Formats: sequence, C-alpha cells, structure tokens
Amino acid sequence: MSDQTQTEKENLVMEHLVSLTYRERLTPNLNRFVDELLEGRLVGHKCPSCGRVYLPSKGYCPMCVVATSAEDEVEVPDTGTVTGFTIVTPVAYYGQQETEPFVFASVLLDGADTPLNGQDVTGLPHDQLRTGLRVKAKWKPKDQRSAEGISNRGWGSMGTVVDSFEATGEPDASEELFKDHIF
Amino acid sequence: MAANDRGATDIAIVGFAQSQSVRDAAPSEVQLLVPVVADAITAAGIERSDIGFTCAGSCDYLTGGPFAFVSNLEAAGAWPPISESHVEADGAWAMYEAWMRLQEGDIDVALAFGSGKSSPSNPAEVWAQQLDPYYLAPLGVDPVSLAGIQAQALIDAGKATERDFATVVADSRRNAKSNPNAQLSGDYDVDALLAEPYYRRPLRKHDVPPISDAAVAVIMARGDKARELCERPAWIRGMDHRIEAHQPGLRDITSSASTTLAARKAGYDGGPLDVVELSSTFSPQEIILKNAIGLGAGVNVNPSGGPLAANPIMAVGLIRIVEAASRIIDGTANRALAHATSGPLLQQNLVCLLEGE
Amino acid sequence: MNERCAIVGVGQTHFKKRRDDVSIAGLLREAIDRALADAELTLRDIDAVVIGKAPDAFEGIVMPEIFLADAVGATNKPLLRVHTAGSVGGSTLVVGAHHVITGIHGTVLTVAWEKQSEGNAQWGLAGGRSGGIGAGGAFAPWMRAYIQQSGAPDYIGWMVAVKDRRNAAKNPYAHLKMPDITLEKVKESPMLWDPIRFHESCPSSDGACAAIVTNEEGAKRAPRPPAWIHGLSVRSELGQFPGRNPVRPQAGVECAHDVYRQAGITDPRSQIDMAELYVPFSWYEPMWLEGHDIAGPGEGWKMVDTGETDLGGAFPVNPSGGVLSTNAIGASGMVRFAEAAQQVRGLAGEHQVDGVRTALAQAYGGAAQYFAMGVLRNTPPE
Repeated sequence: MSDQTQTEKENLVMEHLVSLTYRERLTPNLNRFVDELLEGRLVGHKCPSCGRVYLPSKGYCPMCVVATSAEDEVEVPDTGTVTGFTIVTPVAYYGQQETEPFVFASVLLDGADTPLNGQDVTGLPHDQLRTGLRVKAKWKPKDQRSAEGISNRGWGSMGTVVDSFEATGEPDASEELFKDHIF
Repeated sequence: MAANDRGATDIAIVGFAQSQSVRDAAPSEVQLLVPVVADAITAAGIERSDIGFTCAGSCDYLTGGPFAFVSNLEAAGAWPPISESHVEADGAWAMYEAWMRLQEGDIDVALAFGSGKSSPSNPAEVWAQQLDPYYLAPLGVDPVSLAGIQAQALIDAGKATERDFATVVADSRRNAKSNPNAQLSGDYDVDALLAEPYYRRPLRKHDVPPISDAAVAVIMARGDKARELCERPAWIRGMDHRIEAHQPGLRDITSSASTTLAARKAGYDGGPLDVVELSSTFSPQEIILKNAIGLGAGVNVNPSGGPLAANPIMAVGLIRIVEAASRIIDGTANRALAHATSGPLLQQNLVCLLEGE
Repeated sequence: MNERCAIVGVGQTHFKKRRDDVSIAGLLREAIDRALADAELTLRDIDAVVIGKAPDAFEGIVMPEIFLADAVGATNKPLLRVHTAGSVGGSTLVVGAHHVITGIHGTVLTVAWEKQSEGNAQWGLAGGRSGGIGAGGAFAPWMRAYIQQSGAPDYIGWMVAVKDRRNAAKNPYAHLKMPDITLEKVKESPMLWDPIRFHESCPSSDGACAAIVTNEEGAKRAPRPPAWIHGLSVRSELGQFPGRNPVRPQAGVECAHDVYRQAGITDPRSQIDMAELYVPFSWYEPMWLEGHDIAGPGEGWKMVDTGETDLGGAFPVNPSGGVLSTNAIGASGMVRFAEAAQQVRGLAGEHQVDGVRTALAQAYGGAAQYFAMGVLRNTPPE
C-alpha cells in the first residue's frame, strides 16, 4: 500500500509484545455444565420466573434478570435443529489454526430456548446445509473428551467433547417450531 | 459555569447496593451484578421500567476479553430495549454520565453501576499497560513501583512520614471492622505495622490495596420523584472530574492539582464535612488527597475503610460515593464528599458533593 | 431549560490501512486540529473532551485516553471515555452533546479513533483464540435471513458495494477508493462469509474523527454554517435471546422513532434528505432502511435497486463511501455524524448532495444491539 506521507526513509517500527496471564475457575454453573457434558449429558437452567431453558446456563436469566441455580437444572436431549449458519473462510491472524472454509451453525437443542452458536454440522455437503435440518450430537469417545475448549468467556465451544452435529436424515423441522428461537 | 449552578441540585441518590468485596469471587462479573442491580432497584422502591437511562462502567482488560462489557448489559435488564451507555472507566464516571443525562429533564430515574474482577489477572501487570505505550510501558514500570516513587517524594518534600502511612492503614482497617463489605479489617498497632518489611520502599505491603472482586449500583432520581422515593435523599450538590498530564514527571506527584480543581468545580467551598470517602489506593494518597481538597484534621475520612480495605477496581470509586450517600440517607451525616480516581498516580480525579436537606 | 446544540467543527484524518507516519496521539491530533481549524477555535476554547474507541485490546493499551490526555488538550479539563462497541463513535458524539444540552459545558470536543495496524483486531475479535469468525461471520446468518425474508436478488449487495466504493472515490479522506469497480468485480471477488464477498466487506483502517459541539452562543460565533442537532438517541438490547429479531432489532426501531419524534419527523423517507448509516457489510444498507422504518418491510432493497440511495438519488445513503470504504472501528460511528453534519452545512465537497436540510446519522454495534442516532439540520430547533 503506497503512502503519500511516507518519506524515503522507512519509519522505525517498535515491536512491543505484551503477554498477560489470566487464570480463573469456571463459574459454578459452567463447572456443573462441564461435569455433565463430560458424561454425555446436556444440562442447562430453566428460569424459575419465565420457564425459558438456557444451555449452557450463565447463572441467570437475562430476560427476567433473576439468578438461577442448581435447583433450576434441566437435562435436554442431544438432538436439535439448525436455525442459522454461515460458511466461514478463515482469516489469518496470530493464533488462527483454521485454514479451510468451515461451518459456523446455530443448533437449537430440543427443549432449549437458545441455540448453541458456532457448531460444526457434518453428514452432508456444505452446499446442502440449510435451516430446519435435523441433527444429533456426535460425541467423542469418553476417554478423548476434555473441558479444555470451554471457558467463562463465551467464545469456547463444545468441540473438545462433541465433534460435530450430524444430520440425522429426519424430515426438516418446520420453521414455525423454531422461529422464535433462531438467535 | 460550575455544574452546581443550575438544575444539578435537583438530583439525588435514592437507592444503592454493593456486593461484598472478596479476593476471588467464583461467579462471573455479570453474576455479581445481577443481584446488586436488583437490590438497588428494590432499595429505591422502583420498578425496572421506571429507569429512563442506564450507564455502566467497567474495563475489558480486567476480564481479559474484548467486548467484555457487553455481557454486563444482561444485568441491566435490556429487554425491552433501554436507553443505555457505557464508559470504560470506574462506575463513578458512569454515574457522572447518568447524572448529566438526568439534567435534561425528560426522565426522572437513572441507574449507574460499576463492576470488576481483578482476581483473574495480576493487576500490577494489567495496569502497567495503561501507561504511555511509547515512553513508559516499555520501561516495565508497574503501578506499585510508581506508588513507591510517589511515597518517597512525599517524604522527601516533608509532607509525610512512614508513620503517617502506617496510621492511615491502621485507621482504615479499624474503620473497616464495621463495614460488612470490606475485605481487610482489624486492630493494628502502628509500631507493629512499621516493623513489617518493605515491599516497594518506603511502602510496605499493607500500604498497597488488596486484590478485590465486587460490583456496585446506584439509583438516582430527580426532584419530586426523589422526595417521593426516599425519606432522606442524598442530594448531589455538584459533581466534576478533571484530568492532568499523564507523564508523572510532568506533575508534582506530592499534590493533586486535578483533585483540587474538581472539588472546587463540584462546589466544595471548604465548609465542614461529616463524611469524606477518598479513593486513596495507596496509603500516602490519602494524605495527598486530604491536602488537595483542603480537609482539616479531625475530618471523618473513609469510615468504610476505603480502598485499602477493599479495592474492586472499576467499582471502588462508585463505592466511595455510595458509602458517603448511605450515611446521608440513614441520617448520620448531612454533608459528604466522595472521590474517585483513574490513571497512574492520581492522574484523573472525580469529586461528588452530597447533602441531606 | 435545555440549550440548543450544534456541530461547528468537523475533522477527519486520511484513513489508511497503516498510518505508521503518526503515533496514536498524532493521529488524534490530525483530526482534532482539522476540527478546530474548521470551527476557528483553539484547544483553549474547549471545556471538556469525550473520547470514544472500540475495545482496548485492538491496540493493546488499557484505557488509552489516559495517556492521550495531554495530546488531546484535556489537561485540567474533564475527559470521559465512552465504549459502546461499534456504535461508540456515535455514542461519543451523543455524550458530548449532552454536556452542552444540559449547560454543564459550553463547547465540547468529541473524538473517536482506532489504529488497528498497531494491534491485531482479528485476534482481538477472536478473544485470542483460533477459529475466529470475524464480525462478518457473526452478521452473515442475519443477512441470509434478510435475503430469505425479503426475497431480495443477490445483486443488491453488489450494487451497494459498487455505489459506496464509487462514492468513496469522491471523498478525500476515504480508505478504499475504487472508481472503476463494477458489479462483475464484486460478484467475482472471493466469498468470505456466505453471502458476503470480499468487496462487500469493510476494510480495516487507521484513523480518527473529531467533532466540536457547542451551544447557541458558540454556534453564533462559528465562522461556517453550524449543523444543528434536532434529535439524539441511544438504545441497547440483549444480543441473544429467545424471540429476538436480529434482522430488525427492536432497539434500532425504537432509537429511530425516538430521534424522528424529537425532530418532528413523521415520514422519514420524504422528510430526510440523506442518511449516513453504519453499513460494514453491503446488505446492511437495505436492512437499516427497513430497520429504521425509512422503507417498509421488504422495500429497502428496492430503494437500492432503483438507485434511490445513489448520490444523485432521492434518498442518498452514504455519499461519503460509508463504513464499506473506511472502517477505523471506533471512529466509524462518529464519521457518520460528521459526514451528515458536512452535508447539512453544505461543506461535503465533491460528494455533497444538493440541497440537504435534514440529515440522519446512525451507528450500531455489538451483535446489532447498540444504536446511536441523530437528526441534523441546517436551521436551529424551534
């Protein structure tokens, strides 16, 4: 990129790399979620006020702004519906390991009110991916599961426990059934 | 024109809540905020839908994630949509913005909150990254060492002694005994404190604040609404904040010119104060701030224990205001001054003047 | 009694991929000095400073306004830092204006910036992890949903990209200037996040924007026409919840209706002469036209299709080239307000729309959940 203000002499660039270490325990609610997840169970919280089911739970219902606790735990099945997706062409940046286009889908588990974002969907070519597609979790073998990819930050996924959500071959779900739970 | 010359006198704190400051809170920052915001709303006797404007204060770098503040919106009750803003600053500055917004007169109630968990990181590492990235940060100087330089300068200028620092600490810990939200409290002998080893000479470990996690929220209301909601509202007589040069070498670090200016602009005229709450992060700063504001001997400073007893960064400044307001609302004080700070060595300072009737 | 408030000085830097000819402080001063020159003021005339930028992690400095205090002329003054994600430039101007409207201060400098080349925004957006999807990946599903719901043909996105890049060629400060861009070139550019192609996506820029807001007295003293503020509003909503409509977020609808009400606008499409809308990906132009009730449901893309949003159209959108051509994230929201101000002042230069009396400025951020909007006019409020 040419720069009109640039003189013949190259500007000096100072590298100032900073490393900060953050250590934190998983929140009590996420900790419970992980314990169950490693056993192959999907456990969220049902808001005692409005009844909405959040998975994983953040420890509160953001709609009612009330705290939820272990008393509000509910298990949901590992089957669900694709409610939205995109195919991401990865951008290179420090720490990026993805090089090939990958699926970034939202999967609404049956009985949950908010979808799991950023899930991989397998069992069909990318160009056949669609909303309404029925999927089921493809779990890693028990001895290969870890909680490594899960953090309080919300950027983690279940990728270290569930490989992907695989198309089941069932008929697509009607949009009526999930239209209020897409995002 | 000073802020207290017009409408400002018509706005009061009518409710508040804070979480207990702890060294390492297990819940997330939002989880700390959810009950605190709910309790402040309950304390003010309002419905969430009565709130006309909300302002939040937090710092992404404490959490260690960009856009961390977005999650905090979930504690504000942002559905249906709300009129809301966020400052990358202590909750005291969020309160300033909300107080300003209330003065437009089209809304009656505003919510401000501040929150932070310092526990996941090493604050001395994180806050070193607040320094000028070209000229200061590469030197590897950290905020605690800077505070040591300030303390030494204060001694060299003949303005304080190490015994004065230890006295501040002993007072803080003793006062904190009656504060259920404080982290460090107890009876300490000044001579025993002085016998402790140096940490950053002339500072000892107890001259440095603890690492704390907490959240705080405040509800303000305007005019008749405030009188209706609260028997004895804490009227905000003035609020102002000022910043000065960043590079500590460009300032007289044994005084705080921006605090002096902010106090004057907030309307403090040197009259008697029943309570003063100062964000004196390091013990020598209490001496600097008292001088800067012009507080005489015998003024009740940091009855809560102050930041030396609990220092939840991004909440600690607003907690000072809440501690001052609480004493007006409960009738034990009639005139109070609260202070918040930001930047290295008291670079930026906010002063809030509160009164009963 | 609230004060009338106007923008009397506007300054932008030249936006580029890398501005390594200036420090961060130098970048801000470039915008500030232009704004002061426009208003024929000096830093001594400024009572308070409000700074906005997107996440600190983009440059790796904690609360950078603290070290910038001297450079922006804030010493001994109030300095407030706003951060409301991508909408922050707009929110910063709104907060600055509140200082003036309430009479707390007479003249306030607002400045918003980002120097993305000094850090790594993609790393920042990904939270330092692999598998980052960028902002485009987050918004792509909603754009797909819009296309599906509205039945818009795929070339609408390409048309927006061509229009904005050609407009940018007339804007001396814009980053990407592509006077020769064609629908074919957009269509043939690589797919980044289906349905968004490379040329339908915003660049990553270094730059700053400053605007000076003042009261009626200040506006009377101003050497050039002021841009009067007739309405300002901010709205926020949760980013994800059951029943959310992210294609037409309710916060955006309410924010728009709030500024229309303040400005006495009942039919935005006919009563507003032009708009600067935050469009980082092409499809957001029709989405905001509908999301702010300028166009009816399913009608936004038709305004694009018929050329109504072109520079010479009946409702020009982003004559500056918009965020699609220039995106120093924190600055982008303020650029919308600054460009709208220049239009009502008649100072927009080569991309001036004829006869603008009323302009709309909009910024959004987060998961399309933060909104800051304003209505500006060339005449003072009643």
